[in-house]
Amino acid sequence: MQLTRLLTFRSFRTRPLRVLLSAFGVALGVAAILAIGITNQTALDAVTQVFQNAAGKSNLVILAAGADREGIPENVLSRAGRIAGIRAAIPLVQIQTILTDEVPSSAIGMNMFGLDTAGLLIYGIDPSLEDQAREYKLVAGRLLEQSGEDDEIVLVDSFAQDKNIQLGNSIQIVSDSGDLNLKVVGLIAKEGAGQFNNGNFGLMPLITAQKAFYRQGKLDQIDLVVDAEASSTDKLEQLRAEVQSALGNNYSVVFPASQGRRMTQMLSNYQIGLNFLSGMALFVGVFLVYNSFSMTILERTREFGMLRMIGMTRAQIVRQVMLEAAILGILSSLFGLVLGFALAVGLSKMMGVVLALDLSQMSLSQSLILTSAGVGIVIAILAALIPAIQAGRISPLEAFRIRSSPHQGWFVRFGGYLGIVLILVSIILLIIDPFPYDVQFRLGSMVVFALFLGVTLLIAPTVGFWERILRPLARLLYGNSGRLGSSNIRRAHLRTTLTVAALMIGVSMITVVWAITGSFKGDLDEWLQGYMGGDLYITSNMPMGQDIWRRLSIAPGVFAAAPQRYFEVEWLSPVGERENITFMAIDPSSYSKVTRFTFSETLAGESEAIQALDRGDNIFISSVIAEKYGLKPGDSVVLKTRSGDHLFQIQAVVVDYYNQGLLVHGSWLDMSRYFRHEDANVFLVKVQPNLTPQQVAQSIDELYGKRDHLTIRTNQSLLESVSLLMDQAFSMFDVLAIIALIVGFFGISNTLTMNIIERTREIGMLRGMGMTRDQVVAMILSEAAVLGMIGGILGIVLGAVIARIMLVAMTNMSGYRLEFLLPVERTVLTLAVAIIVSQIAAFFPALRAARTRILEAIQYE
Amino acid sequence: MENSKSVLEARSLHKQYHLGSHDVNALSGIDFIVEQGEFVAIMGPSGSGKSTLLHLIGGLDQPSEGEVILAGKRLSLLKDRQLTILRRRNVGFVFQFFNLLPTLTAEENILLPILIDGQNPRKFEERLKILLDLVGLTDRRGHRPEQLSGGEQQRVALARALITEPAILLADEPTGNLDRVTGAAIMRLLQRSYNELKQTVIVVTHDPFAATYAKRVIFLKDGCLISELHLTQDMEQAQKVAVIIDKIRQLEV
Repeated sequence: MQLTRLLTFRSFRTRPLRVLLSAFGVALGVAAILAIGITNQTALDAVTQVFQNAAGKSNLVILAAGADREGIPENVLSRAGRIAGIRAAIPLVQIQTILTDEVPSSAIGMNMFGLDTAGLLIYGIDPSLEDQAREYKLVAGRLLEQSGEDDEIVLVDSFAQDKNIQLGNSIQIVSDSGDLNLKVVGLIAKEGAGQFNNGNFGLMPLITAQKAFYRQGKLDQIDLVVDAEASSTDKLEQLRAEVQSALGNNYSVVFPASQGRRMTQMLSNYQIGLNFLSGMALFVGVFLVYNSFSMTILERTREFGMLRMIGMTRAQIVRQVMLEAAILGILSSLFGLVLGFALAVGLSKMMGVVLALDLSQMSLSQSLILTSAGVGIVIAILAALIPAIQAGRISPLEAFRIRSSPHQGWFVRFGGYLGIVLILVSIILLIIDPFPYDVQFRLGSMVVFALFLGVTLLIAPTVGFWERILRPLARLLYGNSGRLGSSNIRRAHLRTTLTVAALMIGVSMITVVWAITGSFKGDLDEWLQGYMGGDLYITSNMPMGQDIWRRLSIAPGVFAAAPQRYFEVEWLSPVGERENITFMAIDPSSYSKVTRFTFSETLAGESEAIQALDRGDNIFISSVIAEKYGLKPGDSVVLKTRSGDHLFQIQAVVVDYYNQGLLVHGSWLDMSRYFRHEDANVFLVKVQPNLTPQQVAQSIDELYGKRDHLTIRTNQSLLESVSLLMDQAFSMFDVLAIIALIVGFFGISNTLTMNIIERTREIGMLRGMGMTRDQVVAMILSEAAVLGMIGGILGIVLGAVIARIMLVAMTNMSGYRLEFLLPVERTVLTLAVAIIVSQIAAFFPALRAARTRILEAIQYE
Repeated sequence: MENSKSVLEARSLHKQYHLGSHDVNALSGIDFIVEQGEFVAIMGPSGSGKSTLLHLIGGLDQPSEGEVILAGKRLSLLKDRQLTILRRRNVGFVFQFFNLLPTLTAEENILLPILIDGQNPRKFEERLKILLDLVGLTDRRGHRPEQLSGGEQQRVALARALITEPAILLADEPTGNLDRVTGAAIMRLLQRSYNELKQTVIVVTHDPFAATYAKRVIFLKDGCLISELHLTQDMEQAQKVAVIIDKIRQLEV
């Protein structure tokens, strides 16, 4: 213990920067794992909660197979209730409305699922049956009367607070029969079912809702609660099929959980990216600790030589270094946990924006904390293992050397061969890819690790080559001092390797982030231009029917108005699974006047494809679906319609990322005849050439805005919102990349400081010979610049390769076919950043060198 | 057959280094014996093989040919771990550049071999006190190397070398980094350890003044042992210096 105290803790105290660098590496890995783990679990729990809320206590749900306003006839309720195994059938009407005095919000909510128009979602319920389906936590007043006939409403307390509504107040909502007055009799908590529509939710009596919205005798949903004996998975599936068969194809009988499947699928794509990054952060952490411990061993060569000389065995030295690593790992992991919590708060908030969910309640498990901390300790120990073994191999003769000349050993002599092998194996694995799908992700991470290591090992044997190439540049920048500085990097290959590698990692991470975001944004921009084509984007919290379409089409200043409707439809995927995707209905004729598709492939040409779509029984599929399922124009897909499964032929593949690309495009005609929908979600409007979008928007707003509760935005402002959303989604990756660059900075600064201390006598001699202080500074800056250039070039190349790997992986896993884009300006900027970072890092060491006192330096031990 | 009274035997020691395409013979067939309680100085010009010889007899390096027997053990038969432990318990080292751990106090530096050996330092309180007294650093035991002068640091190094009561103390140019007065003080301490503690001491030096403290002087040239000189107790130091310088001139070393 005393030896530990004397050697370990004292060593920590004398090398605070080095210890901090190692600690930071470990903490970074721990923080990344913890933050991403917390965020993923929080998001998953929130999404699970959403569909659990939707399900409530019900085991099955009956929905209309299509058709706006038609809904489910009330007699289905009693029919379903009589089926053996069904304990209760609970009716529901869903109303989307707004308060009459509410100004249509100009802030259209955007998230990864598309648009989110808030408004007020009201469930029309039968108070005598509702508690069998869903639970509500009453916080004030009372729930609805059992009779269910009065004009009363229960609101979520957060919504009431936002709108300044008190218990007992009367509110007015927009309904089909005119403005409807309702008395607020109760407030519920924003928990469970109270979280629907992000708390913009209320309950009113079924009968009142049906009367006000002309839905007499109609329902939107029937929740079914089954007998206890029928609640097992197998029996439930059997019962579902029986109910479906009994009710026929006009209705869909589904499990409540199926509604959440889409969200979890979208979530998993995002999580893949985050998990990959946490893997990279872990690798950065391992490398930093390895780097730092290697530097420490180099610095303490003479000390270890002395300890060996006075009788410390190799094993004792190795144990000593491992003990230092373990202690560092424990302390750093604790710091990493704190950092991880802080990161998780930010990351969860960002994820919440992307998913349009409230993720303020973070899910934290003991096992995650222990795992993260455990990983930190393990990576510290593992990363220090090779440096520890190298320390044990230091000869006691090193104690006699005036300057500790680092033993280059096998690393410099043979490391290059190992590096070549690692790179070749990585490339082969990437090309052949012999592993099954579920191993691909782990394989991808390991291949990236192997590439980093391989390139790192190649640095030492190629230092001479790099120096020769970059020497003219160093001379150009710094004159003859630059020439001297440049040649200094050849003196200690191991140290040069470690320093360049630290910077290389930082630069490669930045390159990866910028290449991926560039590729994503490049494709997204192209898609968005088409998707949000035209000049104006018009939505409403209320359904928009044919009459609005007609009026918009002839409004002053409007060249054309094209409706869009998107709704969920069940399809039979080529792998035989029934899944929900989005059907985007358009009127091809008006659509072509306003905007255009971005075609990837067509069966018989673009205009022919549009004509075929217009005829009906034809669809376009997204490039994501095409990629994922291997579909192409000419193939057919099965969609479930009101009258059963129907075959649609694929006429074209288009680029479309709405709903993460899980969608098909069909005609307005098909929507109407097969799915019985009539209303639009959105109108895209193109204005006359001699007018500005703002002018026409104002004109439409004056005419119809208030009356039809329209929200009108120019496409420009909408594109900016989407851009902001994308920036938010990727911002966390930028943060990680910048952290990695800061680490590279410390790596260079540390190395140069060590170099200068070792060369004190030499610098004194140069000064004695007449080198000015400025020339000494130039010499050190030149050395740093060359290190920075090597690290920068290698980092960019490696980053580009890794980004390519990630994009291919994303294509394989999720179906996104993204074009690899390495933004030229940003690449040049990255190299410049690497050099600038190296210069900043060298600044203080250079000043220190310049201040060397000649006589002291010459006598320096 | 090993000499029972000898603490060190070097038999036909050869050491060759490979430097690029050249082979350098650092030592060529060195034979000598050091008996218990002797004070020996090894002299020679730069490149004569003095330090190489010291490294070999201290078990820090392996000879290309020949044998070293230290404290009754053949070093060539020992594995690295055994050699290290032998060195820990039987050899004390003092260097030109002190080699103290900058993060430890004087007392802690002295006790370091004990701690490495896993022993309880409390058992060595008495020994520590004697050594601190011997080197005159009792009042400075809590100071770190940066707070000590060069001479004081070398005294700490000497005390560290003696803490385990080693079979042999090896000093490589112990005064090389010190001024004449301080250097002489260090040599007197070495002599005291030899006189009072009956310590066997081998000093490598190029300084004739430093060599006068020894009883026997061995001369090396070009890796060979070319002569020996015995210095008697009744000789004055100046006389000893003259004799040594004379010998050096004779041998043209």
